[in-house]
Amino acid sequence: MVLDVVEAILGFPPVWQVLVVGFGFSLLVSVVAVWFERKTAARVQRRLGPYWASPRLGGLLHLVADMLRYAFQQVIIPRGVDMTPFLVAPIVGMVISILPVAVVPFTSNPQYWPLPPGAMEYSLLIALAITTLPPIFIVAAGWASNNKFAVIGGLREAFIITAYELIAILGFLAVAAAVGSFNLAVIAEAQNPVKWFMLLNPLAFLAVIIAVAMSTSAFPFEIPESESEVVAGPFTEYSGLLYALNMGGAYMRRFIYGILIALTFMGGWAPYNPGEGIFAGYIVPSLIVTVKALIIVLAISFLRAVYGRYRLDQALDIAWRLTLPLALLGLALGIIQAFIGLA
Amino acid sequence: MSGDIRFYGAFKDELGLKTIPSRRIAKDTYEIFIGPQHPGSGHMRIIIKVDGDVIVEAEPDIGYVHRTMEKLGEIRGWIKPIPLFERMAIHDACNITLPYVRAVEKLMGVEAPERAKYLRVLLCEINRIAAHLYGFAIFGIFLGHSTMYMWAMGDREVWIELAQELTGARLTHSYPVPGGVRRDIHDEYPDMVRRAIRYMRKRLEDYRKLFLDNPVIKSRLEGVGVISKKQVVELGIVGPNARGSGVAYDVRLADPYEVYDQLDFEIPVFEEGDALARTYVRVEEIKQSMNILEQVVDWLEKHKGEPIIHESVSSKYGPVHKKVLQEQRRAKLLPLHATMKVPAGRAIGRGETARGEVIYYVESDGGLNPYRVRIVTPSARNAIAFKYALPGHKVMDLPAIYGSLDYFPPESDR
Repeated sequence: MVLDVVEAILGFPPVWQVLVVGFGFSLLVSVVAVWFERKTAARVQRRLGPYWASPRLGGLLHLVADMLRYAFQQVIIPRGVDMTPFLVAPIVGMVISILPVAVVPFTSNPQYWPLPPGAMEYSLLIALAITTLPPIFIVAAGWASNNKFAVIGGLREAFIITAYELIAILGFLAVAAAVGSFNLAVIAEAQNPVKWFMLLNPLAFLAVIIAVAMSTSAFPFEIPESESEVVAGPFTEYSGLLYALNMGGAYMRRFIYGILIALTFMGGWAPYNPGEGIFAGYIVPSLIVTVKALIIVLAISFLRAVYGRYRLDQALDIAWRLTLPLALLGLALGIIQAFIGLA
Repeated sequence: MSGDIRFYGAFKDELGLKTIPSRRIAKDTYEIFIGPQHPGSGHMRIIIKVDGDVIVEAEPDIGYVHRTMEKLGEIRGWIKPIPLFERMAIHDACNITLPYVRAVEKLMGVEAPERAKYLRVLLCEINRIAAHLYGFAIFGIFLGHSTMYMWAMGDREVWIELAQELTGARLTHSYPVPGGVRRDIHDEYPDMVRRAIRYMRKRLEDYRKLFLDNPVIKSRLEGVGVISKKQVVELGIVGPNARGSGVAYDVRLADPYEVYDQLDFEIPVFEEGDALARTYVRVEEIKQSMNILEQVVDWLEKHKGEPIIHESVSSKYGPVHKKVLQEQRRAKLLPLHATMKVPAGRAIGRGETARGEVIYYVESDGGLNPYRVRIVTPSARNAIAFKYALPGHKVMDLPAIYGSLDYFPPESDR
């Protein structure tokens, strides 16, 4: 009886996808991405990088060791904090940052879509709407910390939101306009096999990449957590597991954005054609999408080795003066493509 | 972009300096204490008041690593202050102690032999390069550029190894002593220096590509933290920070000591006075230091076997010490150095460290200890720059300005 209920809950496709792809894959991707980030940065900087946690794997398990340490570390909660938001913000923020996966199709086979085909018509809009929520919890975490550095960090995050949010949405909508559908499955299928929108509409693609870098505090936009002025930004007062949740949240969001980019700009499961059955119809295409998302995550992570960080006003300047026109041009290009029927 | 400094609620006093009395600032400012427990502060505290994101008032609060250098210098003889004073700037050890040694030499009336002078210059310039690279590393990580941090720290190792080969110690060498230096170079040493110079010239090109010409870094530094030429003169700022603002002052040029008057080198001067200009000054100084090193090792190769310590010291050597000096080219310190008495008098020693001019005033009453050692370090004179360079800039400019000033708290606090 109880097992039936549990099975019904876990078997419900959105829940299943959030748990397995959302939590499971994004944890795996975080491990690989952080390892890659450390290892490539080390290579550029002429040193070894992580090594001792697992010498045969080249230190791949270093992040696992880190996470174990965080998990067993004492969580120090300062006396002055606003307790409820201080505890709730990192946890809810992390959960919400994974939620977009609940509506993302990993295959063209409607049998394995997380939502019924009617609801899938709006999957891109729903996913984008959910991606705009987590920053609110970062700001809340900073405010609840009752620490000047945390408040300034939260404020910077709020500034950065105004910079990237519109750009990201416009960039994704350029593809929706070109295809004429908000259905992620239709968008991905329209690009099969090699008509990828990163080639057809590089303007929107570039704008989205910059917006994602801003959104997830990647270099050169690592501004809210800028160590040399605001210590750890909104997360200054956090320790132990709560800190790990906060920092992991950025990688998870990067991965979720990576999935959306893989579906809208990189052809999703293309050049593979999903077939029948759980293996050919769901597992293989979802792995292809994940690998593409991983490539996006790694490319953004690599910027750490090359760039310093911009000043806050310079980042906003770039967003509004350079990237927003870029996104608008991308949208116009998408509409033109729809008009001439290229896509 | 350059020269676009807002005088935020400020007026100029009779010296033409920007001053902002606290009562003139709006009430809704936000006071932030940056340091001493802060990843971007070093061993000091900067108290800033911000209006929104703009710093309206900055107060450098120094003294957290004060170690009573001057007082300790009065109680432990004439030789032991040398390793003590090195602790002010351990990566610039020879530069910071040489003026003290020279002041003591003046009181004693001895002068180091020619070869010892060249050897001192050799270590001074190696230290200068290493100290500038250290500054670059800190600067890089302040701007979030971890690659610059790792590169500069790694390449600094080359010069530390050279110093170790010369003196036996990586950082605190205690190399110059009154009357000369403690060691001579071995035969392969000049080639090691030339190899290091070749390597560093190649690396500076890499630095230029990745850091100095990086659009992100450039936009962070250009027009930021401008200190005008007039301000530099009025505030008494020294070293690369003064030369970045167009003041061509360098003790090596103004009052040549050791053999700097026989060497051919230039003093890089930039007019802009912003963080980028100060950075460029340091890059050019590394290049000039390498030119000096080339000339010094050429001279040292031509004049092998000359004495490295004054004969007033070496004449008192016993047979063992003489053998060590002749065979291993090492000048040992004698027990009599520990109880050395220096004739009464007063002397000034000046020198150009990596961060600017250091001045020692040494007074002797003819006893076992210095009667007074007064030290004015370059960082102590540059600390005031925070107060005038920061206001009007964003909070995010603080690390850029701090790093460009290359301020080193242990040196300032003494």
